[in-house]
Formats: sequence, C-alpha cells, structure tokens
Amino acid sequence: MKRILIRVNEEQVSEPIVAEVIIEYRIPAAILSAHINSKGGEIIAEVPDESLDTIVNAFRKRGVTVTVPKLIEVDSEKCFNCGSCVALCPVEAISLDKDCTVQFDKEKCVGSACSICVDACPARAIKSIKPNGANHAGNNKVKIS
Amino acid sequence: MALREGYFLSKEGKTRTIEEINKKIRKGDAQVLTAEEMKKLVESSGVEVAFKEVDVVTTGTFGAMCSSGALVNLGHSDPPIKIDQAWLNGVKVCHPGAAVDLFIGATNMTEKQPYEYGGGHVIQDLVAGKEVELRAMAYGTDCYPRTSIKTTITKDDLNQFYLLNFRNCYQRYNCAVNSSDEIIYTYMNKLLPRLRNATFSGAGELNPLMNDPDYETMGLGTRIFLGGGQGYIIGEGTQHSPKNLNGTLMVKGDAKKMSPEFLQGASFSKYGTSMYVGLGVPIPILNEGLAKKTAIRDSEIFTDIVDYSVPRRDRPKFGQVSYKELKSGSITINGKKVRVSSLSSLKMAKKVAKTLKSWIEEGTFTLTSPIERLPNNTVFKPMRQTEEIPFVVSVMHPAVTCTENEAIRAIAERIVTKSVNHIVVVDEDGKLRGIVTSWDITRAMAEGKKALADIESRNVITAKPDEPLEIASKRMAQHNISALPVIDIERKVLGIITSEDVSKLLGR
Repeated sequence: MKRILIRVNEEQVSEPIVAEVIIEYRIPAAILSAHINSKGGEIIAEVPDESLDTIVNAFRKRGVTVTVPKLIEVDSEKCFNCGSCVALCPVEAISLDKDCTVQFDKEKCVGSACSICVDACPARAIKSIKPNGANHAGNNKVKIS
Repeated sequence: MALREGYFLSKEGKTRTIEEINKKIRKGDAQVLTAEEMKKLVESSGVEVAFKEVDVVTTGTFGAMCSSGALVNLGHSDPPIKIDQAWLNGVKVCHPGAAVDLFIGATNMTEKQPYEYGGGHVIQDLVAGKEVELRAMAYGTDCYPRTSIKTTITKDDLNQFYLLNFRNCYQRYNCAVNSSDEIIYTYMNKLLPRLRNATFSGAGELNPLMNDPDYETMGLGTRIFLGGGQGYIIGEGTQHSPKNLNGTLMVKGDAKKMSPEFLQGASFSKYGTSMYVGLGVPIPILNEGLAKKTAIRDSEIFTDIVDYSVPRRDRPKFGQVSYKELKSGSITINGKKVRVSSLSSLKMAKKVAKTLKSWIEEGTFTLTSPIERLPNNTVFKPMRQTEEIPFVVSVMHPAVTCTENEAIRAIAERIVTKSVNHIVVVDEDGKLRGIVTSWDITRAMAEGKKALADIESRNVITAKPDEPLEIASKRMAQHNISALPVIDIERKVLGIITSEDVSKLLGR
C-alpha cells in the first residue's frame, strides 16, 4: 500500500472529487484521516501500489494537489528512547525493539494530520512538518517516489 | 552498627566485606554483573553459586526526576552583588543563600517558552559546556552595592556546580490512566480519554532500591553512578516511604564531571519541565540474602493502576499490574486491552548499569560503606490542612429531569414550576442523554420546533461528585455554560451543580 496526501482548495471542497475518482477508477482507497472545512482540506489515504500512478493522475486531472506525505520527523540525536510515544500511536507506527530502542516506521505513520506523539515527547525529538501552503492546486511538479 | 554486625555474624560464615571487594577491584579481579545478568545467573545456577561467584551487582535507572537541581557558586562580581532575583537562560532560579549561590530547580520554566525550556535544560546545557546567560538583580547594600548584572557563564567559570537532587530513584511508581472523556496532560505525560493508553515509570527489576529492598547496603555515603559521573547517596529522598516499597534517594555529585547524555532536560506539555537523571547503585553481594534479593524479577514487582482523571490526593485505582506486564506493551483493565508505554528509558537504565559495571571492572570506581543506612520505617504523611475545601458533592442538588419522548411544552412547564434553567435528559435507567436549557426552549418556540431531539445538547459537559468544586467551576467558565450534571462512572445522573451554587460558596 502507498500513502498519499490529497489537498483540496476552497472551490473544490463542495465537489465529491474523492468519491468520483474512487468510483471511476474502482480503486479501493482507504481514507486514514480527513480534515475538511469550507476553506479546503487535507485527506490522507492509502491505495494499492499498482494503483498509485492512476489515482495520482486522476486527482491531478481534476486540479487537486497530491503528494506522498513525509510529515513526521524524528531526531534520533535528541531521542533518549523513553518510549512515551509508543502506546499513543493509533497506527502502531512506533515500537520498541529488543534492545529497547524506539523504532519509527515511516511507512505506517499517518503524518502531521495525526501528530498525537509530537507534544508527548519529553525530549522534543518529534517534529510535525506542515506541508507548505494548501493553495497550489494543479501543481504537478511534486514528484511521486 | 547494625550494618557492620550483619556483615560478620552470619552463622555459616558465608559473607564478604566491602573491604575485601575493594581489594579485588584494585587488583582487577572483582566479579561484577549487571542486575540483568545476575537474574539470569541465579535462575540458571541458583543463589549459592551466584553468591560465590559475584562480588557486585550494578543497577540502573533513567527517568524523569522532578525533584532534581543544581547548586552553583558564581564567584563575586566587581563591584560585588548580593543577588536578589536571578535568571539563567531566562529560567528563574532560587537564591537560597548568600550573595552568589544559586539553586537551579529542574522544574522552573522560562516565561518565554513555558513547558519547553526549564531548569533541567539549563543544567544539561551547562553540563554540555555551553554558555548560559546570567541575568540578576539586587537591592544593593553598603557591602554589595551593585543592583544588576548581565553576563554569560560556562561550567568552567563556576566555583561549585553540584547536582543536588532531593528525591530521585523511586523504587517503583504508579501506572497512570485517564477514565475521563478528555485528554489530560500530567507528569505521567499525555493520557488519552477513556483508558486509551497507560503510562508507567521506573526500571522495575533494574531499579537500585528494588535490588536491595531492605537497604542493607545503601545509605549516607554510598558512592553511586550519577548523571554519567560519580556521586553519593546523602540520605533518604523526600517522601521516602519504605514500608510500601516506595523508597527514594537524596543524592549529590559533581556536575562538572557529568555527561549531558545522562542528564537531560525534559518537557511535559501543559505540565512543566523536568530532568531525566541516570542513576545507578552498585550492590555489594555481602551475603546470600543479597544474592537472592538481586535476583528479583519484573513479574514479582507490582504497582497500582491509578486514574489520573480524578484530581485528588487519593485517586481511584483499577487494581494492580506487574512490571512484566507493563514492559510487555499492553495491560488489561476491566477486561479491556490497554496499550502502555514507559516514561523512563529502559535502554538508558541498562546503559547506566553497564557503564557502572565497566568502571568497577576497570578499577576507577570502588565501593563505600554507608555511614548511616536509609531508614526502613518512616512514613510519608499527607499535608496538614487547616481549611476544608468544597467538593462537587457538597453543593450538588437533585436534577430536574425529563426523558427524550416528552413534549417540549411539558418540559417548558417543568422549568416554570420547578423554577430551574436546566433540565437533564435521561434514559429509562437514569443515565445521561442530554441537557435542555430554558434558552433552548425559548428558541424552539421562536423557531417552531416541536421535538426535544431537535433542541437538546447531547455533548454534555459533566462533573464528578468527588471533584473539587473549583475545578468544576473552571470547567463551566471554560465552556461558557452555567450548569453541570453530576454523573457517576456509569453515567447515571446523581444531581446537578449550577454557577449560582458555585458563586454562593466560592464567592465569585
């Protein structure tokens, strides 16, 4: 599964874009988080690997910004491995390994839309990186890796 | 005296002394195991063999220890100043003594970045060799005429820089949960609503005091690992409560020789700052009893699961749990699986024990006999309070209620006849469903709404009977409402409190 961040602007909010794309391309996208109001919104969804290009292009054709989110960063220099964050993570992206070292799984992490761990880190080693600006609809420059 | 006698009076003569161990350490042939290794040895070979083979067991813990701080002496300025108020990197520090002695408390915070940067961070920065800004003010005297000073200092500029922690190394600690409907931020970190997570603290079977629970070898003068350097136990810590296995240590050590890896400033959102301290005690295996005690396992160490959503001294408990379960990552509360994580670092605790072991093996750390053992019979008393404070239960009165199928007109009549502003909506079991105010009824009339369901508020802010009234009152102000239904743990309505009741009692 690949995770994508779909960002809609003020004009797009009232249109059923996500539903349309899912129905048209018959892609079983799982919505992991959605924050939407009249000014726009961010949706994080998971799609099958093979559908990634199709769904990204479908959204972009409709003028919606799509990126692959990498929005939580852990500073391993600062982290002293207390593990306070482990039980807070709703998608179990954080765990302790055999050595009691905190392991952070970027693939599983929902990103800045969740951020539940950020203010619980006593070492302040976890940073939530907000994607810059929500208003560049139609920006196709973002490369999907 | 009891300590020395204990060493020599064993009938079988199966004892060794600290002097003997130190001789071995100097020769480089002392047998040192970490607490982790010792447990495995006792399990595989038994207590007798373990006692024969092992001279010292090293323990360790690394956790948030709020009652920590550092004493610094700045030296005199010219002209001299008798400091009245002082700040280091914007953190207010105490001036408990004469002119230029300061105490940096780990929990003091900066005004600019409250909860983010505090005394613990200042100590860490100083230990790391960083420059720290000093700002101080004074009233000026004939002998100390200066009234203000601003300069920067490093640890090398200080005459004394001693870590002086009056309560460290809790033998064990509570497991914390939150049964309320809102996230709470505590010294046990962020607790999610409705028992969605749990936190605990302490190293369990690696904890120094747990490995010598009768404090046979520990007391004033015991040399220890402290913050990456060497320090000493200088007595029992404050709130030492040995009878229920909640012993604590008071410690000091030369912070100039410590390491920022083992002394780290910490931030707890909406609670405050603190400092993580690495602390390890070497336990000389003087007799078989100690060999057995140092074999204690996490499965034998229990602690209470405490509900931190009740802001009282005696908080409700959800039973007990072992450190083995706590370290497994999930515990069971009322049949429900709850994920749990540690506040203290087990990885660092192990590193403390390993480092201390290597020091002893290298001969750079020898053991000391305590001059006075830690007390094992003292009691931790609650505060004497000369004034009673009111609780919700003391002002709560019966709520006027209705059910969801009643007509708005009937409810309007009830508001008039009972002369109240709030009607609590309940189900057939008396459990809370919603609330309706006289304003809601007025609006329903104006807008021609007929069904109660269209006007009642379902997201009801509530109070618990044993909450301090002041906290309930703050909640009303915060949500800009004038009444709180009082409910029990099953959401049954017990009564109601209104802002009028509160202002009558609290005078606001």
